[in-house]
Amino acid sequence: MPGTTSPARRVVFLHDADVVPGPVGALQRLAEIVDLSLPRHPGFGEFDEVCEDWDSVSDLAMWHLSRLDADGVEPVHLVGAGFGGWVALEMGVRRPERFVSLTLVSPFGVKLSGRDETDFADLLLLDPEELLELGWADSSRATGIRMPGYPPDEDDEADARSFADRAALARYGWRPFMYDPRLARWLGVLTMPRLVIAGDSDRMLAPDHSRRLADRIGAEFVELADCGHFPYLEQPDAFYSAVLGFLSAHDEVGKGDAA
Amino acid sequence: MKFYHFSEMPYTEISQVDQDKYRGMRAFVPNKLYDPVRGYELYQRYLDEYELADELGFNLMLNEHHQSATGLQVSATMSAATIGARTRRGRLALLGIPLPHHENPLHVAEEVAYLDITTGGRVDCGFVRGTPPEAYPSNLNPIYNQDQFYEAADLIVKAWTERDLFSWEGKFYNYRYVSVWPRPLQQPHPPVWVTASAPSLIIWTAQHGYNLAFLIGREEDTAAIFRIYRRAATDFGLPEPGPDKFGSMVATYVADSEAKAYDVGRKLMWYFETFHERQRATVTPGFFSPHKSVDALRGKLGSIRKLSFEGLIDAGVVVCGTPDQVVKQITRLYEQTGVGHLLCMDHVGEMTSNEVRESMSLFSREVMPAVASLGEQWEDDDIGWRMANDTTPIGSTLASSVS
Repeated sequence: MPGTTSPARRVVFLHDADVVPGPVGALQRLAEIVDLSLPRHPGFGEFDEVCEDWDSVSDLAMWHLSRLDADGVEPVHLVGAGFGGWVALEMGVRRPERFVSLTLVSPFGVKLSGRDETDFADLLLLDPEELLELGWADSSRATGIRMPGYPPDEDDEADARSFADRAALARYGWRPFMYDPRLARWLGVLTMPRLVIAGDSDRMLAPDHSRRLADRIGAEFVELADCGHFPYLEQPDAFYSAVLGFLSAHDEVGKGDAA
Repeated sequence: MKFYHFSEMPYTEISQVDQDKYRGMRAFVPNKLYDPVRGYELYQRYLDEYELADELGFNLMLNEHHQSATGLQVSATMSAATIGARTRRGRLALLGIPLPHHENPLHVAEEVAYLDITTGGRVDCGFVRGTPPEAYPSNLNPIYNQDQFYEAADLIVKAWTERDLFSWEGKFYNYRYVSVWPRPLQQPHPPVWVTASAPSLIIWTAQHGYNLAFLIGREEDTAAIFRIYRRAATDFGLPEPGPDKFGSMVATYVADSEAKAYDVGRKLMWYFETFHERQRATVTPGFFSPHKSVDALRGKLGSIRKLSFEGLIDAGVVVCGTPDQVVKQITRLYEQTGVGHLLCMDHVGEMTSNEVRESMSLFSREVMPAVASLGEQWEDDDIGWRMANDTTPIGSTLASSVS
């Protein structure tokens, strides 16, 4: 129901690895009610000369921050999912005043377990079938996902793009694998309202990783039932409600007729 | 032509059930499947075979893999040190040291210099990128594999040749004070080899005047790779490269009768058949271009693995038969490609030590003398691969290789 509300502030959603670009799942409905921006991480989706020398998620965070500044927008709501959650955390600790709120969906980026345990599934090694099994409460529901060789009927160009995306992910997250120890040192500077959302069946992350991260950063924690690593794809209605409830508690977002 | 003995030194006791369970024999196989006593026997056997090879007139090729049941040589320099101490004659061809998987290239420079001195200058030093799955044991980012290779190679050669302290502040390696001790015995440094199939790396190798090796591929791909090198070298103003610049690996078995040669030689298929790895481990992110990765996904790379035993002989990948037949096969390989160093994988998989020893001895007695002179007078040979005669366009498909 576009036009029935006047979103107070922009909501920036940072995408995960392996998710098709654009307003997928719950993001479509969210876009109808807020000023939703879905920026692409340089290196993903197409070739970007700008990031040829980048080698860390810090580079991505600096890029997204510089785009926000260049656009001159007021403080925004920041949402990041999975790999995008890691980018969002890096942005949040650098410029906490830039964000009205921070919502993280099963984010990578912070290692919480011991040195001989892993926190994150090896999405650079496992086969598509294995990743779907880990990433979904019910992998038969899988939608909105793109990996090398998946969906199985992709043409050569699409698969080449997926390989390039995986190469970008390796560039940013190969070692340490999908986290940066420097980020963990600065989590205390996050002062904006914070929410962590995770599915109860997300096996892409170590058990309870998102809950423990929420404790660590003093965030609200919402666990969605019958849901894996991609709540906005697997449980779009529950995700929509959780996000909208949080945003509207801290802003005028969605307080019109459409809420 | 020069000849080299090579064995990957495989650990052959992994059952098919376990190979399927752990998705191949490299990188992800738990070492509970390794028996230390059996491993001791295998190492002694393989080292003894290298010692015999030296006595039979072979040079000695060593390599390096990590966390792999397919190859128990964990360090090319350690293998060369061990075998160098047991032998007196053969050259020690390290083919090679996977530079992007070593954290400190200066340690490589030091070890190779030490090795060159202690073996009386018998070292040929190969620089390689390493196979894609090596990125998992080393955990070094495959995205940077190629660029790291170039920087490490440049740094090592500078460390061998620069006589004053220098500093190196590169993209991957950073040292404030470099002057490697000892210096190699061979001056300015041991011959450098590179294994390559990608045109950019072949051209870089030619530009630097390093020797080029191609490990296991169709004869036509070998020829295409050497062709790129020759044209690049002369484009850079270097003289036409002769056979001495080129090495090629073949899996080898010789016997008195064709029946026996084929019967035992079929065991060479182990090398081509024990390969059912995770697709993502053979196409690690960024190691290949996105389009070459798609080729790999569609099964277009490593196509020689699909050939029959006879097909592999026809393609010049396997050299097998009676001494007369093998002489013909090697002569054809020389005539088609201009190769001057034949890297003989004399042992594969479950071939017994007696089978390996018999074949190497027969090769030494009846094949080597017949083909040793190939390429010696190449400048007088009006042969197809000479630049004046070779009008074949530079090809872009070098996809059959498994290395």
